[in-house]
Amino acid sequence: MMSTDEAVERGEPVLSVENLQTVFYTDKETIRAVDGVNFDIRRGETVGIVGESGSGKSVTARSIMGLIKSPGRVLEESSIRFEGEELTTKTERQYRNVRGSRIAMVFQDPLTSLNPVYTVGNQIKEALRLHQNKRGQEATETAVDLLEAVGIPDAARRLKEYPHQFSGGMRQRAVIAMALACDPELLICDEPTTALDVTIQAQILELLQELQDERDLSIMFITHDMGVIAEISDRVNVMYAGEIVESAPVVELFEQPKHPYTQGLLKSIPGNQSGGDRLETIEGDVPTPNEPPTFCRFEPRCPEAFDRCRTTHPERIPIETSTDEHSAACLLYPEDERRDERVRIHREQSENGPASGGEQT
Amino acid sequence: MAVTREDRTLGERVRANPRPALFWLAGVVVLFALEFGAFMNAIMSTLPWAAVGGALPGTSIWAGLAGVGDTLASLPTLLSRDLVPNQGYYVPGEGWEQTFLGLEPAVAWGLRVTLIYVYAFVFFGWLANGYFVFRRHYRYAAWTPYDDMLDHLRDHRWGQFGFVIVFGFVVMAVFAPALGPTTVAQNIADPYSHEIQYYDQEAQEVSTALVGDANRAATSKGSADRNVGPLSYDSYDRYHPFGTLPSGKDLFTFMMAGARVSLFIGLLYISLASGVAILLALLTAYYKGLLDLVVVVTGDSVQALPQLLVLILLSFVLSDTWLADIYNGGLLLALIFAVTGWPYLWRAVRGPALQISEEEWIDAAKSFGQTPWTTMQKHMLPYVVGYLLIYASLSLGGAIIGVAGLSFLGLGVNPPTPEWGRAVSAGQPYVATASWHISLLPGIMVVLIVTAFNALGDGIRDAIDPQSEGGSGSEVATAGGSGA
Repeated sequence: MMSTDEAVERGEPVLSVENLQTVFYTDKETIRAVDGVNFDIRRGETVGIVGESGSGKSVTARSIMGLIKSPGRVLEESSIRFEGEELTTKTERQYRNVRGSRIAMVFQDPLTSLNPVYTVGNQIKEALRLHQNKRGQEATETAVDLLEAVGIPDAARRLKEYPHQFSGGMRQRAVIAMALACDPELLICDEPTTALDVTIQAQILELLQELQDERDLSIMFITHDMGVIAEISDRVNVMYAGEIVESAPVVELFEQPKHPYTQGLLKSIPGNQSGGDRLETIEGDVPTPNEPPTFCRFEPRCPEAFDRCRTTHPERIPIETSTDEHSAACLLYPEDERRDERVRIHREQSENGPASGGEQT
Repeated sequence: MAVTREDRTLGERVRANPRPALFWLAGVVVLFALEFGAFMNAIMSTLPWAAVGGALPGTSIWAGLAGVGDTLASLPTLLSRDLVPNQGYYVPGEGWEQTFLGLEPAVAWGLRVTLIYVYAFVFFGWLANGYFVFRRHYRYAAWTPYDDMLDHLRDHRWGQFGFVIVFGFVVMAVFAPALGPTTVAQNIADPYSHEIQYYDQEAQEVSTALVGDANRAATSKGSADRNVGPLSYDSYDRYHPFGTLPSGKDLFTFMMAGARVSLFIGLLYISLASGVAILLALLTAYYKGLLDLVVVVTGDSVQALPQLLVLILLSFVLSDTWLADIYNGGLLLALIFAVTGWPYLWRAVRGPALQISEEEWIDAAKSFGQTPWTTMQKHMLPYVVGYLLIYASLSLGGAIIGVAGLSFLGLGVNPPTPEWGRAVSAGQPYVATASWHISLLPGIMVVLIVTAFNALGDGIRDAIDPQSEGGSGSEVATAGGSGA
């Protein structure tokens, strides 16, 4: 892993998501699963996205992949720029050329993301044929190289085996090999270690880091596991109810969490308990974001909430006026202003449009 | 090396070890050669080739091809009636004349039928053996899911029962001309243009009679003296395994030809309807949304129409068009069945297709940029096609009942082309008399075959679905064939 400073020096971000809004229109209600999300991923950088179940992490990933299914839709105001190219306006056909060859995705459950009726080799070669037009012997050799690259021994033989003949960790390695088949620049990992046990988890994380160093890969890593995030990310975005509530370099986030939600998450890790008989948790559940935000969605669960939280939507702004590396969407910040002034700043930002928060400044 | 072994195509693998494949292929060639003439004959008589050729450009070429086809069709075959004739007459003191080896017609006919069924089962067995040869010598995977399916079928008595009956029915349809004690042309379609020889008791000599006249003397009209029952001879020494129709025509010959008509209509209907159903199921499951809605509404609209009325209406309206001439109206019937029947099949496979479309490997395929068509074909179709097989075999039984039902009502296939429903209808007034066989035998056959198609469907379902383990006969058929 490299420090964030190095990553910044690499210049333009590989992926730049601005004001991403993904909305699901159901008969009952309109669910704003992703509501105005902004973040960047630079070359060779790993950006983590954490949050509880239902906070919109996976929908964000799918929106970037262009895999949002009806009745969901990415709204027109959203912008996803990949290497300077706008993805949201692409047709399905154009999008297909991006998927796999430039952005690839690793799914949560390696058991279900491989088709059980085809051999692993068949499925890796399927991807190779599609984007690199490799067939037969040539494809097999490339597939063997890929399996070896992800640390599967005896790759030539394992290529001919079916997914059920692989163990969980091996299977996830195979899925990663498949994702890497076409040499993408960005790898989206949607909870790739959730279904694995801890030792295998560590191996997979290590593998991802090795691959990143070798291939100068950018990784977007989604998880709800704070431990995993600490291990792999350069930068962390904390998501809550469709919004990014805090964004910071990984070390800073763990040392000085600013948003009450992040603080709550970190306090809930069993090892970090401050004593007492019971595990500390954040009371309540993630609300379903079904209306445009005019208030703080975390307010009902927030220990630090005050009356303005119900009437003002907090925008993600730097926690101090002097930095733009660490930002939080909470009326408690910027820390160096008075409370009235802070509320005024957030309100002003809301009115000027939400697209200008965070590191885009 | 292990890697190179997998990459060899089937052809290369066969070339490396040709003996088992060649042995198997030789068997196929021998078995096929025995019946090549009949095969060509079947091809030539399926469609009115002369008419089709005339409609296409380059008439002379097509006519030439048709000529070649006809020549090939007239090649002698092992299982023909010429080789084992059963039509003859009894001369007192001398025995049977003109039958195979002087055997009694019943025995000669029985021999031919046995030969045909033995041949068919051997041929099928040899083809199945081909699969095992492939599995043993040429398949690189040590195991595939199909192995489990076959294992499930191995203990499935109910499904095996269905398979045997269905296979018997298919053989009946395929070998129809050779199975009957007489031919459709001679006995049913054109009896007054054909003659038979018989031994005239009064004149004490062999003389000839028109088949039509002989038929008139062999009618089954209910009373004991005007009835030719099953397994009996008529006064012209003709053997009738199933007895005769009220018109004196041979019921067994009628049934065999009718089997061919039923199977043709059923299969054509099923392939058309299944094709539409599977295509729409894949498309709607993959794209969902508006497309799904449009197809649901269309399918519901078609299903909302009373099928029987639509069948009657369409077969009447289209009866004067060229469509109604092909295969004596069989093609038209199949088309009408397909147009009205596809929503049933589509609904049956839509659920599984939707379920599969939600699997993560579909998303994975999309995520590496696979094209929709390949995704559907490679990652969805194999899971859905099993369900389609089950429902197709169930509806095939339904289609056979439907065609029989229409013929019973006097619609459907144009007379005099044999159709089972018409036999049932003809025997209706004699059900409670000595001529009970006319309705009962075709009726039993219809019931048996529809049951068998259902049993086969159950067997396939249990074989394909690993969760329905141990369905070895204890499981009763749950799905019923739907009659029109």
